[in-house]
Amino acid sequence: MKTYLNLFMSLVFLFMSGCAYGSHASPSAVTSTHIAQPAVAPVSATAQTTSKSAVAAAKPMEEEYVEDEFDEYSANAAREEKVKIADPLEPFNRAMHEFNDKMYFWAVKPVAQGYQKIVPEPARISVKNFFSNLGFPARFLSCLLQADFKGAATETGRFTINTIWGIGGLLDPSSGKELNLQEQDTDLGQTLGVWGIGQGFYIVWPVFGPSTPRDTISMAGDYFLDPVAYVNPWSVRLGVNIFDKVNSASLRIGDYEALKGAAIDPYLAFRDAYAQYRYERVKARKAKWSSPAPAAGQSPEGGAALPEKVK
Amino acid sequence: MKRHITGLFTILAILIFAFPVYAGAPLDSVKKCVNEVIGIVGDPKLKSESAKEIKKEKLRVLYKQMFDEIEFSKRTLTRNWNNFTPAQREEFVKLFEQVLEKAYGDKVLSYTNEKVDFYKETMLSANQAEVQSRIITSSKEVPVFYRVIFKDGKWKVYDVVVENISLVQNYRTQFNDILAKDKPEQLLEILRKKVKQQ
Repeated sequence: MKTYLNLFMSLVFLFMSGCAYGSHASPSAVTSTHIAQPAVAPVSATAQTTSKSAVAAAKPMEEEYVEDEFDEYSANAAREEKVKIADPLEPFNRAMHEFNDKMYFWAVKPVAQGYQKIVPEPARISVKNFFSNLGFPARFLSCLLQADFKGAATETGRFTINTIWGIGGLLDPSSGKELNLQEQDTDLGQTLGVWGIGQGFYIVWPVFGPSTPRDTISMAGDYFLDPVAYVNPWSVRLGVNIFDKVNSASLRIGDYEALKGAAIDPYLAFRDAYAQYRYERVKARKAKWSSPAPAAGQSPEGGAALPEKVK
Repeated sequence: MKRHITGLFTILAILIFAFPVYAGAPLDSVKKCVNEVIGIVGDPKLKSESAKEIKKEKLRVLYKQMFDEIEFSKRTLTRNWNNFTPAQREEFVKLFEQVLEKAYGDKVLSYTNEKVDFYKETMLSANQAEVQSRIITSSKEVPVFYRVIFKDGKWKVYDVVVENISLVQNYRTQFNDILAKDKPEQLLEILRKKVKQQ
């Protein structure tokens, strides 16, 4: 779910466009110019531009539109990692995607908005910290299973400190500058991935959202490692789970809407985002697994310390 | 002999002018642009609701300096770019930008006081690099990476990776799916509708 990326903040700056291109010569004329000079290496491009500066100055962009860079793009495509996910259940998944979408707009969002109005943000962040502190057993076990003993130790330290000095986990003193013990961003699904188990195919569960067979096992395992699973009676347990969900939704209102609004086909956009997100998270843990001695400061997901800031 | 010396000097001159560009430039140039965006969005003189358009106009200018929108479009279409006529390409670039502006413009304008921290750059190849940054809000940290390419003497952004999700790849998946069944003209029609309804 975190997946809904805060695409925005960043993308941010982007997409303020709306450029007016100069008037366009007829495509055929442009194409013929191009055929005359098929090789458009950066250097030669500069030379060409100068030589026919009159034309280029009038329509500086056209050349780029005509360039035929088939080869270059195939090469680039190979360099970029392709993250694909099989989707044999697409019709079912699309239906579930619709269902979850409606559930978000009709139930989760209104409730979260009401809650957001009543409870100030610092309190909601404390609630988030509290639940996240309870996720300690799952993260601790995942670290151990990945032979990431440093991560397991960090988790243990965090749990002890945050539970005692952080008032039962409401505060997060360990991630402060002095202690710098960051939450280990891992779960059982990543553990299975590190062990070499493939993700399988894409599946969208009602209520729980995007997943794969591998991550479904992880969801179940992580659930039973969470103390909340042992709260009795079941009605209280359900209440606690819903409270957790509503609270985290209240900190992210707008993220889902923005990602959906930006998508041409929201189902595909979320599927791809999920695949990329999980792929990178498993890759990050794998990197740790295969090189267990990275100096503090190399963890890509904010593990130990981040590389020195360039200011 | 003289000719050789001239040639040597030419090569030297090219080397001298070409090299300094690379030293730390990708990070600095992205950072500079992002700071300018923050400056515009947070400008106290443009606080009123009516100044929104002025801000948007300024951001559009900045966007053009910061992004290589053609590279951006090409990378989302990959091979399919070749199936578009030049006129279709031009329209595609324009529509794609409008889709993005509508989707993210208000998000950018709602920026308040989040801290943006640039901490690393990695060369991907001789003329491509990845600049890593994080946006720090009260409840979370969001990793944002910019992939940049060196073109015409400037580093320009061609992909943004947020929380490990590449924007280019995300759109590529969607466009590929549409173009596997439909013609470029139909994709353009979908984009035109999307821009209108927003």
